[in-house]
Amino acid sequence: MNRSMLCFLLLLIISADLLSQQKQLSFANDVMPVFFRAGCNQGTCHGSSRGKDGFVLSLFGFDKQGDYFRLTEEIVGRRINMAVPEESLLLLKATGAVAHTGGQRFKKDSSYYKTLLTWIEQGAKNDKDQIAVPVDITIDPPQMQFDGIEKSAPTKVIARYSDGSLRDVTNLSLFFSNNNNTASISNDGLVSSHAKGDTYVFARFDRFTVGSEVIVLPQDAEYTWLGMDPVNYIDELVFDRLEQLQLNPSQLSNDSEFIRRVYLDLTGAPPSVEQYKQFIANDSPNKRAVLIDELLASEDFTDLWTGLWAESVRLMGGGYTPVATDLKAAESYYQWMHDQVEANRPVNEFVYEQVTASGSNLTDGPTNLYTMLVHSVRFEPKSFAADFSQLFLGVQIQCAECHNHPFDRWTMDDYYGFVSFFTGITRKAGAEPREFYIYNKRNAPPVRHLVDGREMPATVIGGESPIKAGLDSRIALAEWLTAPDNTLFSRNYTNRVWAHFFHRGLVEPVDDMRVSNPPTNGPLLDALSRNFVKNGFDLRALIRDICNSRTYQLSATPNAGNEADDRQFSRSRLRRLRSDVLLDSIIKATEWDRTFRDFPKGTKAIEFYPRTPGDTAGPLWRDDFLKLFGRSSRNTICACETKSEATLSQTLHMAVGNNVQQAVLSGLIPRLMQKKNSPEEIVEELFICCLSRSPTGKELATMKELIGEDHDQKEPYEDILWALINSTEFMTNH
Amino acid sequence: MLACTKQSRRTALKMCLGSAFGLSLTDVLQANPNAPAKSVIHLNLSGGFSAQESWDPKPEAPIDYRGSFGVVKTGNGYHFSENFPRMARISDKITIVRSMHCKIPDHGQATYHLFTGYLPTTVIDYPQMGSVVAHEYGIRNNMPPYIAIPNRSSFAGGTGYLSSKFGVFELNADPGGRGEFKVKDLSIPGGVSARQFERRTKARAILETSLQTKKVDVSQLATMGQFYEQAYTLLNSEATQKAFTLEGESDATKQLYGQGYILNYRNQPAAVGARLLMARRLVAAGVRFVSVDYGGWDNHNSIRKAYLDKGPALDHAIAGLISDLDQRGMLDETLVMVTTEFGRTPRVNTASGRDHWARSYSMMLAGGGIAQGQIYGASDATASEPDKNPVSLEDFLCTVYHQLGIDSNKELLAFGTRPIEIVKEGKVVQGLLA
Repeated sequence: MNRSMLCFLLLLIISADLLSQQKQLSFANDVMPVFFRAGCNQGTCHGSSRGKDGFVLSLFGFDKQGDYFRLTEEIVGRRINMAVPEESLLLLKATGAVAHTGGQRFKKDSSYYKTLLTWIEQGAKNDKDQIAVPVDITIDPPQMQFDGIEKSAPTKVIARYSDGSLRDVTNLSLFFSNNNNTASISNDGLVSSHAKGDTYVFARFDRFTVGSEVIVLPQDAEYTWLGMDPVNYIDELVFDRLEQLQLNPSQLSNDSEFIRRVYLDLTGAPPSVEQYKQFIANDSPNKRAVLIDELLASEDFTDLWTGLWAESVRLMGGGYTPVATDLKAAESYYQWMHDQVEANRPVNEFVYEQVTASGSNLTDGPTNLYTMLVHSVRFEPKSFAADFSQLFLGVQIQCAECHNHPFDRWTMDDYYGFVSFFTGITRKAGAEPREFYIYNKRNAPPVRHLVDGREMPATVIGGESPIKAGLDSRIALAEWLTAPDNTLFSRNYTNRVWAHFFHRGLVEPVDDMRVSNPPTNGPLLDALSRNFVKNGFDLRALIRDICNSRTYQLSATPNAGNEADDRQFSRSRLRRLRSDVLLDSIIKATEWDRTFRDFPKGTKAIEFYPRTPGDTAGPLWRDDFLKLFGRSSRNTICACETKSEATLSQTLHMAVGNNVQQAVLSGLIPRLMQKKNSPEEIVEELFICCLSRSPTGKELATMKELIGEDHDQKEPYEDILWALINSTEFMTNH
Repeated sequence: MLACTKQSRRTALKMCLGSAFGLSLTDVLQANPNAPAKSVIHLNLSGGFSAQESWDPKPEAPIDYRGSFGVVKTGNGYHFSENFPRMARISDKITIVRSMHCKIPDHGQATYHLFTGYLPTTVIDYPQMGSVVAHEYGIRNNMPPYIAIPNRSSFAGGTGYLSSKFGVFELNADPGGRGEFKVKDLSIPGGVSARQFERRTKARAILETSLQTKKVDVSQLATMGQFYEQAYTLLNSEATQKAFTLEGESDATKQLYGQGYILNYRNQPAAVGARLLMARRLVAAGVRFVSVDYGGWDNHNSIRKAYLDKGPALDHAIAGLISDLDQRGMLDETLVMVTTEFGRTPRVNTASGRDHWARSYSMMLAGGGIAQGQIYGASDATASEPDKNPVSLEDFLCTVYHQLGIDSNKELLAFGTRPIEIVKEGKVVQGLLA
């Protein structure tokens, strides 16, 4: 034995002796949090699926055993140096002592360094089987308010472990703000205010994310509440929030603004001249409430809401039989939906019936949830589960296919357990090529976990144990999904309904509900959801409350102070009409008899869905206007497929395209001229048809000037009609 | 290979701050104006273009791999398939990349990959290259920055997480089709007189004041106003109107791109020459990125027949475009790329066709500071795998971006907060640069 070996052994004995007095560090609870905090296992570094520079860590540490293996055993002696712990490549790289693409992650005198060094000195041991794991984290304070900008306050993050112990993990957490312009948060959890507004700051530790709401108000600002009285719980909660943020709501909309808005939102087109005149002439004080009830009972409302449902489940009809989305299947699904909406079937029952449906795709409409969400020859449980979750829960669970959801509480266990609900879904060939019988095969094997290959029996998202086997697992799923206490379901749906009326969900995007994307008014979403459940999942009751609220009926004109508000509903906003509503509005306003491909005459754009002789896989519109104006291609479940952003091509089409040109030349103007009306009267009617208001004096004068000598020709009126349809006022709801 | 410089999060943050201080995002992001390429003509041969039947023949391979065509010698001492004699003659002006490889031999996914640099995901939708270029550089000479002839591929994605403002402007009309060529929605309808149109725009201007005086969402109104101004300019300017036609092109020029080719397939004229001529006119008028689609290359059956039918017109058109750009002095500033979503199987199948193959294929580059007269990389003896200097699709796109002065490793902000690299982990292929 040579001298250096001897020294080494001696050293080992001494240090082992010293260390034995120190607490044994845990790989999972002490070492892994350092990787997390130092950013080692984030997606752009070693957490990338291919790792970085030859070293792989699991993204945000979802696979602790794998990480232990790669650190200690993958290349024995490379990353961990048991003999001379300080010389471990892990430490040299992390402190930047040797070349490291990621640079210096922490210094030698930091607690992170000490943790890693001590753990290696203690033998770089793996954890014994039973160790306490974090079960929850909290951030303190959960809400903060700053009176003035450039002020700071600390936060503290506490983790709770499965053995009941608590630990301050502030210096092991990662922090971020949802809006750094309003308030930022430092690496140490120090929050600083920068501008008036409200946002959230978040702490992440292990697989948990927790938020703290930050409100920043100007220092010593003079503020008085000037708003109107609330008429229902919606107003109370919105106004509370506005007051808290020192905002005031805009004025109430006038009658013509209101009637246009409510017609567009409830029937998918502006009011006719008669409908308009009748409402304006009515001087009953509760005429708005009466009109809302009338419209909710209308056929147009049923058509509109059926169309929205059909779009959200990607309803299309095809001629390519193997994918089971035959024209007849689409028709039976659509018709079934229409019947349910018409009968005001409670939304929980409506969804329950689809989720548990078995039978023929051609005759049992609701079974087509299992054909339309998929659009492929084979039923894919994974993509179906992801779409299902996004649609009915607003949760994007698919992130957890490959790693725990980085910004939410969902884990890979949640994902795979959920997929197993659908592994038995079978499409059996029916009596004719177009027909398939949809049913759930009992005892189908569950999916296996990506990391360790475990079988993952069907478990609801967030559920602690699998559901009881034996019956059709979808019944348990549907019962959990639509249960009164499943707020994931009721919040998702009420948020989507809210978004229809305000063009912005309380959570936005509506299909990305997660801890790190909190509602702009949490109490309001809770209350909407609670009332929706209390009223028996009654869609029309929910909408009645929304439309009767002062909040919905506010004007779009801002006051001094709420110009910049785009998320607290202190005023109405300009919102480009949905493609189909825009087209139906043009059709109704101009009395144009436009037809839709493969549909009977008189079909509205909102009732139109793609029908193709071919395959329904892939994006499909089947109408150039709807495609151009951002209708969902129904290629994915994402709510983002429905777009309302302006483009140059849209403008050109509105200006010189065949649709508007034909609409302008349709029957309206000849009819008005035949009545031998004066130019003033014709212009007035055109304004009401398109904008639901009379022209101002100045507008009327200028229009008359433009008409000039040509008042007995139809061209000047066509030109005015063109201008009305091309106006921002027409193309938007406001 | 040289890694594109990595842009740090700090820089991204600075850019956000920059916009808060009144600089528009494009000001800060402004790509390098001294870059060699000012415009791109992108010809996509959709369906999966065969390298073996075009620019990477394998005359020495066993007969069932070789295919049925002979070869023609190129000016720079290589061989093309005999279907491409004109391109062989101008081989000193172009570069063939024979070592391309991508990931998935599925039309939809591979096309999306080609146009966006990413495979499709259910979480994030990525923008097309043309939209990124529009985002980085904006409008030039009142022309839309990104145009598709005649249409965009439905598989190819769209503006992704970028605003629809940067979307492609589709001609919706085929300059190479039968009948009259007229770009959709780009001229005032026949029955509407100039006087009427003027009255229309005047009336609309009056109507816009109503929301303006109510101060309702001023910026959104302004955006709409800009679109209408842009539309009026396109509709009223003689120069832009002319750019969207083939008016005034001499017969000699048209002949340069090849005319009169009628395909056996559906008895249609081969549209590629006219489409490329249109592309050259649009680029000359100020368009930054023109995407030309020329499909029908998914030849699972009778591949010989297909290339005999369609090859000559394609050969003629590409060679014509390169020569034309060169003669006009536009080649240095115009990057031409000829792409396809994947290649074809090394072995000819029992239907005398070839199936999908993503592991090895060829693409073409020319102009815009790309080294001329090269064959870059090589496939193995049977065109199964790259043999020398493999080029991934990401590297290819990164190189094109680099020539445009755009660092593709730069992160754009998706959803306002999430930084995403334009192309993930792409490297500039130094060997392709002049």
